[in-house]
Amino acid sequence: MRNGFIFKHDRCVGCNACRAACSLENRGTVHLRNIFTYNIGSENFSPVINLSMACNHCESAICMKGCPASVFSRDKATGAIILNEKKCIGCKYCQWNCPYDAPKFDILKKTIAKCNLCYTGLKEGRKPACSTACPTGALSFGELNVSESKTAFRWFPDKQLVPALQFIANGNDVPLKIIPLNKGKQVVKQNRNDKNIKGELSLVIFSFLTTLSVALVLSSFIKGIYPEKYTFLVMLATAGTCSLFHLGKKLRSWRALTNLKTSPLSREIAAFILYSALSTSALFLQLPSLLISSALTGLLLLLLLDSVYIYADKSRSVVLHSGQTFLSALTIASFLSGSILPFAFTFIIKLGLTAYRHIFIKPDFSESSVRFLRIALLVVPGLSLLLLNSNPGISIIFIFLTGEFIDRILFYYDFNPLNINSLIKEHLKRERDEKEKY
Amino acid sequence: MNEFVTACPRNCYSTCSFRVQVENNQIIRILPYSGNLATPDGPCIKGLSYIERTHSKDRLIHPLIRSSSGNFSIIGINEALDIITNKLRRIREDYGPKSILWYRGSGMSGLTNDIGSSFWKSFGGATTTYGNLCWPAGLEAVRLTMGTVKHNVPWDLENAKTILIWGKNPAETNIQEIRFIANARVKGCKIMVIDPIRTATADKADILYCPVPGTDGALALAIARILIENNLVDHEFIKNHVKGFENFRDSLRITVSEAEQITGIPAEEITSLAMLIGNGKPMTILPGYGLQRHQNGGQTIRSILALSILTGNIGKPGAGFNYANLQSYIYDDLKEPLSYFPDPDKDLPFRRSVSMARLGSDMLKTRDPELKAIWIERGNPVLQSPDTNNVLKAFSMIDFKVVVEQFMTDTAALSDIILPAKDVFEQSDIIGSYWSPYVQLKPKVIQAPGEVIPETEIYYHIAEKLNLNISNELIPKPGNDNIEKWLENRIKGYSDLTLQTLKQAPVLAPGLQEIAYEDFVFDTPSGKIELCSETAKLKWGISELPGYTSINHGENRNKYPLIFLTPNTGNRIHSQFGNLEIIKETTPEPCARISVEEANRRGITEGQRTRIFNECGELKCRVSISARIPAGVVVLPNGIWFSEGGGVNRLIAGQETDIGYGAAFHDNSVEIEVSD
Repeated sequence: MRNGFIFKHDRCVGCNACRAACSLENRGTVHLRNIFTYNIGSENFSPVINLSMACNHCESAICMKGCPASVFSRDKATGAIILNEKKCIGCKYCQWNCPYDAPKFDILKKTIAKCNLCYTGLKEGRKPACSTACPTGALSFGELNVSESKTAFRWFPDKQLVPALQFIANGNDVPLKIIPLNKGKQVVKQNRNDKNIKGELSLVIFSFLTTLSVALVLSSFIKGIYPEKYTFLVMLATAGTCSLFHLGKKLRSWRALTNLKTSPLSREIAAFILYSALSTSALFLQLPSLLISSALTGLLLLLLLDSVYIYADKSRSVVLHSGQTFLSALTIASFLSGSILPFAFTFIIKLGLTAYRHIFIKPDFSESSVRFLRIALLVVPGLSLLLLNSNPGISIIFIFLTGEFIDRILFYYDFNPLNINSLIKEHLKRERDEKEKY
Repeated sequence: MNEFVTACPRNCYSTCSFRVQVENNQIIRILPYSGNLATPDGPCIKGLSYIERTHSKDRLIHPLIRSSSGNFSIIGINEALDIITNKLRRIREDYGPKSILWYRGSGMSGLTNDIGSSFWKSFGGATTTYGNLCWPAGLEAVRLTMGTVKHNVPWDLENAKTILIWGKNPAETNIQEIRFIANARVKGCKIMVIDPIRTATADKADILYCPVPGTDGALALAIARILIENNLVDHEFIKNHVKGFENFRDSLRITVSEAEQITGIPAEEITSLAMLIGNGKPMTILPGYGLQRHQNGGQTIRSILALSILTGNIGKPGAGFNYANLQSYIYDDLKEPLSYFPDPDKDLPFRRSVSMARLGSDMLKTRDPELKAIWIERGNPVLQSPDTNNVLKAFSMIDFKVVVEQFMTDTAALSDIILPAKDVFEQSDIIGSYWSPYVQLKPKVIQAPGEVIPETEIYYHIAEKLNLNISNELIPKPGNDNIEKWLENRIKGYSDLTLQTLKQAPVLAPGLQEIAYEDFVFDTPSGKIELCSETAKLKWGISELPGYTSINHGENRNKYPLIFLTPNTGNRIHSQFGNLEIIKETTPEPCARISVEEANRRGITEGQRTRIFNECGELKCRVSISARIPAGVVVLPNGIWFSEGGGVNRLIAGQETDIGYGAAFHDNSVEIEVSD
């Protein structure tokens, strides 16, 4: 029988004692436990829900599987997923992978911190600080009976991860009747994307330059002309440096290669190193066999690069996205090499995916003008190639590549790794909208 | 590492027992103590924050003296005590002892608090306060009606079929009660909340009624009338145990449609609520204290209490009117609220002439002698008393101000000398509670830092310097062993309880009635429950019967249309705890809350800086717009320090409640507008 957190939301009032107890116990600089409160502002139709959650120490811990630096491990005695701070490179992949917002990035230390179930205390017979501190008994720790349960939170994502968390739904969930009904309806601001692109700029540049570099290798393979070697070298070096800049602990970056067994990110980084070696040697040594291998390795690298995102993308936000590197490299390569038929093919796929997304998401004005610009930057050069049937000039290439760069930025903008907070908000909003119909 | 069982001595219902782990004179962990059945899950976030509070870098641990330039500098404790002694001697010589105001708040409870009285008595007396800022209107209402103020033990709440939480927000101010409410609900209990604001407690209920603030009495009396008309009263109970039913019945004038006009609650909903109350036995009412911080507070509580009485919901499991349970105060010779009432003969040599509710204006009016000095302990009157303008004015006229305080509060900041105050874990004491039925020892477990000495030692040293020759039985010599001897002696004769027993564990109050009034003995003049009370008329000049008078908001009501409510919140005890980092991290910036309607009417948007004002004063703060606040109301919690942008009492007049000498905090109205 597993031990884990048991949560009775009927008696959680969002007092934050659990969060405070955790901080006082761990004396760190980040809070490891989250308190979410939903339906707090306005609607009279849905009950207010408080949810206290830290790490669920899942049976199938995705943080551990996906971590390229082998930072996480399971403590055998308690089953807790613990992390070795000294190994963490601060890549934040675990934050993308975890649907419960358990890993926290410590801005001062530049590494990840996470609830460790107070595992050292557990061994001494002391329960976790949070559950011990809860003054209403909403949060407790003990033997889980997972056949009970998730009726309280139907939307709770867990099927594959098997979190050590059990909800007990006590009593009715009939919404509060308010007399007299408050006439003022509060406008709840919709934050579609809480993410900040600035943080991901290094990844945008890294992935775009990598894509471009593979496209150049492919295009040179088709055209039979090697690209300028120093430009190419600078491009790869910039890409590599940018990816390094994404890390919190750059000096430990070699650790990213230690989990080839289960981490897509580890594999991608290994592939990048291999590709860089092959392609650079191909250009400097001018050996066709090397060129072929680097083209193939490059394509493999891009598939792995895309897989890093798909692995983290539980909500399937970018599974079909025109900004994916594999598709983009093929598009760019066919454009640069003037290969009409392949280009037409990729052109149509890109256009289709972009249009579909534009209609599906219904973005606000500023966002939609960027998307419109991107389409224009694809269509104008693309049509000029397809219709005029000549090798594109420098300015057309520049316009086209700008469009591709914007496409990659949009990829990051649309990338929405499963985030428990937005998931709950969306689900509850759907519930409220349904109820309001009646 | 050592572990001790102790209790939280704050002015709070719960008075939680907890275990504290100590290592190298540091508090390292706070854990629940499951042996206390009222608080088995341990303290709230404030209790946990003692880990920071006791060792806070902001804590004052040396005496501070103000120079002529206005800045504070550190002086040694002996020097400080000498300065104070000389000043007190001089002032007593020149103006007499009554020119000193001795002010005590409720910042920390304990039997040793009273040791100061022995000092001042021997000193020749002083001027002191009467009344209380918090709950005396309701206490007196219950005392007049029931004789003794008590209720069933907290865990009995699980036996209720109906719980009516009226003007109380346990989710924030008595969080240990939530477990019992939640357990009752699981068993099928119906929970109703009556509160103008949709509080965190309301979110755990079945129905929320939002009457206009201050109109609860009208609602209760309309319900009483419906109960009687529909024969939902317990005639047997009334016949045997109640005096004045017929008079009460005949006095009920407010019809249900009048109540609708007064309270804003639709007539048919008032009727439904009456039905739920009449048919929902056993029913417990949980009345709060905000409910009676009105001019009509005492009458309001009497009217609501009448509902429990009419339906016979007294003296049975799951039933009751849980205003306060004073059964654990076995060592108080004079129980509250009687201890708040001035008695010119019994009070001597003290001159009890300053009302807590009117601190500022009463201080200014004091003559023969005027006030020349003030000694403040365990309180923050500059921030927490109504009518800040007059309080500040009165303080500026005082030549010598001594404050015993843990942090640089707004009161301490105005003083002339600050003596650093002890913390929870630095002196043993015995405490009771007004909700939990336990008598508890709060032991000394760490050495006080710096030059901190407890009040008892401060008084000891000053008494020595003044040659007052006070017996050690009254003021013990320094040292915790002497304090414990004093406590041992203090509690002798009241029961079989010894200090030794208390050292083992918290103890249920000797003589405790777990089901209050189960013997149907009522310590009133008639020996019965007095719906009709002559004392009410004789002593307070109110009707012998419960009744409703609407709040008089003054002539400026049109200029200031919004009622100003200043409730307590879960992250503070009044003005304590809010300054701690761990508390600040979980509290957003304090802001006033108004409804969507009122915001739209004034063109106010979320997060804007606004100015709240009325004829008393003004306050600037950010505003938050919430559908949980009704129209016609502005809510801003009390206890926020001036330095944080708080100070609600600038807008609150010094008004007493109808009975009990309480403070009518919630009877002020304001206007709000965008500021820069």
